[in-house]
Amino acid sequence: MNDTIHVDQLSKTYQVAEREGGFKAAVGGFFRRKYRDVHAVQQVSFNIQPGEVVGFLGPNGAGKTTTLKMLSGLVYPTSGKAQVMGFNPWERRTDFLQNMTLVMGQRSRLSWDIPASDSYLLNQAIYRIPDADFKQTLKELDDLLDLSPIMRKPVRNLSLGERMKVELAAGLLHRPKVLFLDEPTIGLDITAQVRIRTFIQEYNRRTGATVLLTSHYMADVTALCERIIIIHLGRLKYDGSLNELSRRIAPFKLVGVALGSPCPCDLSSYGTPVPSKEDGGKQYVQVAASEVAAITARMLSDLPIHDLTIEDPPIESVIERAFLE
Amino acid sequence: MIKIYQRLWQVNWAEQWQYRANLLMYSLYGLVSPVVYLAVWTTIANSQGSVSGLTANDFITYYLTLLIVDQLTSDITIHILANKIQDGTLAGDLLRPAHPVLTSTLVYNIAFKALSFIVLIPVWIILVLLFQPNFGMVTPGSLLLSIPTLLFGFAINFLFGATLTSLAFWTTRVYSVSEFFGALVVLFSGQFVPLQLMPPAIQTVAQYLPFQLFKFVPIEIILNKLSPETIARDFVAYLVWFVILFLIFRWTWREGIKRFSAVGA
Repeated sequence: MNDTIHVDQLSKTYQVAEREGGFKAAVGGFFRRKYRDVHAVQQVSFNIQPGEVVGFLGPNGAGKTTTLKMLSGLVYPTSGKAQVMGFNPWERRTDFLQNMTLVMGQRSRLSWDIPASDSYLLNQAIYRIPDADFKQTLKELDDLLDLSPIMRKPVRNLSLGERMKVELAAGLLHRPKVLFLDEPTIGLDITAQVRIRTFIQEYNRRTGATVLLTSHYMADVTALCERIIIIHLGRLKYDGSLNELSRRIAPFKLVGVALGSPCPCDLSSYGTPVPSKEDGGKQYVQVAASEVAAITARMLSDLPIHDLTIEDPPIESVIERAFLE
Repeated sequence: MIKIYQRLWQVNWAEQWQYRANLLMYSLYGLVSPVVYLAVWTTIANSQGSVSGLTANDFITYYLTLLIVDQLTSDITIHILANKIQDGTLAGDLLRPAHPVLTSTLVYNIAFKALSFIVLIPVWIILVLLFQPNFGMVTPGSLLLSIPTLLFGFAINFLFGATLTSLAFWTTRVYSVSEFFGALVVLFSGQFVPLQLMPPAIQTVAQYLPFQLFKFVPIEIILNKLSPETIARDFVAYLVWFVILFLIFRWTWREGIKRFSAVGA
């Protein structure tokens, strides 16, 4: 078994205390608490090969973060097995912690009151990074993320995008072989998102690290991941390539036409109109993939067409359908 | 390993320095009750000649030594860690290959002590000038003997505090539990009055608890009041309690982490 990550029937059930609102319920709850089981992750299994970059997708509350926390040894599973680089994560062995990282976009691991560079020095000691390696890695990270101007300011004074950069660098100084990235681009503007994305790509290329990342931004997923794993309500829904998912779930194309005269023509005889997508004067119809050639030929001969495009349906809608399946 | 502590020290010192005003208030607050007791008992002893054989000078030297011993052996783990367990920020520490309690929490504690001394020393000097104590009974030997008791006193208090804090993995009301034990400490450690003024029953119970090892025992050793036999017995007690509390802490922490759900995010 040479998978970097091996997950077998992994499940986590949380017990959550709950009560109704109001005084009576509050008093009652003091004496007899009611608990409800929340099945955050249910019998999820998958394997990830060394060097793969895998997108881990699902709506809020799907169990993505819980799974990442189990794989990084923060949370004990209720049942099932997992191995990361041959280690059982929740034994939290030094060799395991030394070689992986979990970066959470919404949570800071750095101390707020001091500059990131001080925290980096601390990490150097904790991860036992030799001086020469430390300097070189920091220089590389600086090249990729442009840290110099920001790593000497106290973390609390950084903008969200800047903080994410120093945070990522903190998680990567020890050159982990496995990266768990939970929403690494959340809340960032487009430029910053692109930077972080390029960085992850570059890090993976340079070091051959294995990456499992969650994101709500489809651009992250399409740019980085050839393979995606979708979970919904704690269960695995799909595991395979992004292209295959589009073919399976959405075997159709979007045909967009810009017409010469501004006529609000009825295109419904060619395919299902997609009014939500109209832009720049273009109108779109959804057409079965197998009929695209025939239908576009018919449109070109019937209509006064200026411009015609054939597009894949947006990945958001494909994935949304996968959740619903 | 030494490098970890060195870097942690730099980080913690820098961090806590930012909150020095806070720290000043907190430290001054901690000085209030020993100073009040010092004033009260000296007045009583002065008016009666002595209280249960303790003279005014005995009280003055006891409380002045207490101020320092208390600072050296005190533990603030619950204030450092309980929140982190409850709001899930402990996750960041748990990801690193170093025990969060035995590295960063420990150093935080020590950095806090070092900073508190900046407040304590001037106050202490003023009190010495005011009360004019006679520290004639203190010898280099008694000071030397007190060093291991101060180190182990802190170690035991720290492990005790860390164990209580670990209860935060189970309950969100860990501060109430800590308050309860805080009351026991007050009663059995000699913090408010020298233990020999306590009823015999309490003195007996105190023998079997670790709390007097935080305060009363180091003070009495510094002030050269214990017989060699008592000192020998106390040294054994330090070792035994150290081992017991270390094992209890290790078990509680391990079991606690299994329950940690890194809430939020």
